[in-house]
Amino acid sequence: MSTPVLKLKGLTRSFGGLIAVNNVDFELPGGSLHAIIGPNGAGKTTLFNLISGMLASDRGAIYLYDREITGLAPYRISQLGIARTLQIKSVFDRLSVFDNVWIAAHSRARFLNPLKPARSYHATAERVDRILSDVGLTDLRNENAGNLSYGDVALLEMAIALATDPVLLLLDEPVAGMSHVETERMVAKIKALKKSVNIILVEHDMETVFNVAERITVMTNGSILTEGVPDQIAKDVRVQEAYLGQPEEV
Amino acid sequence: MNQRNNFFLVLGILVLAFLLSAPHIVPLFLNTFWVNILTEILIWSLLAASINLLFGYTGLLSFGQALFFGMGAYGVAFGLSVFGMSFWPAFLLGIVTATVTAAITGIFAVRLTLSYFTIITVVFSLIFYLFAVGRKDITNGDDGMAFQIPPVFKIGNWQPTLLDITFQYYFVLTIVAALYLLLWTVMRSPLGYAFIAVRENDKRASLIGISPYRVRYYSFLLAGMLAGVAGVLFALFSRYTTAQYMFWTVSGEGVVWVVVGGTGTLFGPALGTALLIILREELSVHWEHFLILVGIIVIITVTFAPSGLMGMLDRWSTRRRAPKQPTEARLGSTTSRTARS
Repeated sequence: MSTPVLKLKGLTRSFGGLIAVNNVDFELPGGSLHAIIGPNGAGKTTLFNLISGMLASDRGAIYLYDREITGLAPYRISQLGIARTLQIKSVFDRLSVFDNVWIAAHSRARFLNPLKPARSYHATAERVDRILSDVGLTDLRNENAGNLSYGDVALLEMAIALATDPVLLLLDEPVAGMSHVETERMVAKIKALKKSVNIILVEHDMETVFNVAERITVMTNGSILTEGVPDQIAKDVRVQEAYLGQPEEV
Repeated sequence: MNQRNNFFLVLGILVLAFLLSAPHIVPLFLNTFWVNILTEILIWSLLAASINLLFGYTGLLSFGQALFFGMGAYGVAFGLSVFGMSFWPAFLLGIVTATVTAAITGIFAVRLTLSYFTIITVVFSLIFYLFAVGRKDITNGDDGMAFQIPPVFKIGNWQPTLLDITFQYYFVLTIVAALYLLLWTVMRSPLGYAFIAVRENDKRASLIGISPYRVRYYSFLLAGMLAGVAGVLFALFSRYTTAQYMFWTVSGEGVVWVVVGGTGTLFGPALGTALLIILREELSVHWEHFLILVGIIVIITVTFAPSGLMGMLDRWSTRRRAPKQPTEARLGSTTSRTARS
């Protein structure tokens, strides 16, 4: 058995009296798309925040392959190969689509040369254009990110994440708030992506989750309830109870 | 896009032509002291550029850039009057003093952002100001230090000094132009992109592997250096330095120039500096409360033209000629206009 891509050991984080993530053990073997589902407040986004370094954990450890990344700053974790999108889409609004992705693509450079024009990095520019064409944003290349539709911003955020050349991609509710057409486009994108990069997906939209995921972890109240293949999860009585306990969620 | 570029190209050439010939043209129409006012505008526009680098490009509002201005001024003054240095070593000492001060204070300052950053910059500048005022034995406090200026260089018998108004003007113009060129180069570089990325969205920047702290620190360092050179030049220009140069109101005046001229544009701050200094020179003689007018201008600018004079020029340049070449102009400029809104 090879080293898992991501390993969480006893990961815990509380906010005041609320334990948002409670002693979570988790392994991502890699090579498959893994979804994390659970009712609101289950701790899914907090888990992502811990993995990406945006929050510090109270206890426990996070490993990317063999390397412990617990407590590292977000920019270090990004440099080590974890990219993520945010539930509330976050891009550089006043920059062009191209520049958004360019900055991400160039962020792998160790040295930000202050005297060389950014436009002269031809290899980076080609890579950016390739990524834009992959996600289908070529036509909007020179548009300001702030002028994009919601669905396009989500694609741009994905392009930004991909430009950092990640080994692990964390997608936080990629289809939330999207129209049916936009959702279909995004799902197709995710399906294409999972062949080349390890993905963990947090999503409320069950149709999307069961459509793309090979394995599903169910979280409730900060803990992992169960884990399995989609068919198993769909039949699991405990999972149904967890969701029915909060009917507005379904 | 093209008409806009043409407009700024023509404007740029006109301004450049004026700047290059000013010492010969200005005395034809105005008193010669206006050459000195132009020199002063050029110097202060560097302080404005420093504030703009932090505020306009990196998203950090500093009310403490006068600290580095003052350190530059003291550095060159000490070099000349206390250490008996010649021109260039003293010049360099001023820049190094300012940059080292920025390197040390920056470690603490750029850990903070937003109003917390603004407050700490004021605090730092007050600490150094109070020290400079208090230690009269070293700095001469409010009375300031006057000094002699040696020749800038010697070529045979030619030993130009800054006492020659025309030479002084060209000297300052050369230094200021070189630093604006440096700033322009940096803003087109990956580092400049990183400044803007951090300004726009520091969370996203850190999630793609950019350290906001480090990027802000570089910006702070470069801004400290720019303000330092401004201080060096102003001390040489006045043959004098005083603790008052470090006071936070000096920084505040710089912030006003930047806001009126246009934050986040290369030349906006220089434009704001020029306008408000000319206004001061013209009005302060007749009306001691002319600052009221400055206040009104600031209020009008931030309310109706948040992108400053440069933003107004930009919009005006794209709108002005649109009716003349209807189809082409509209097709060509739709993207640029929406992209800029």
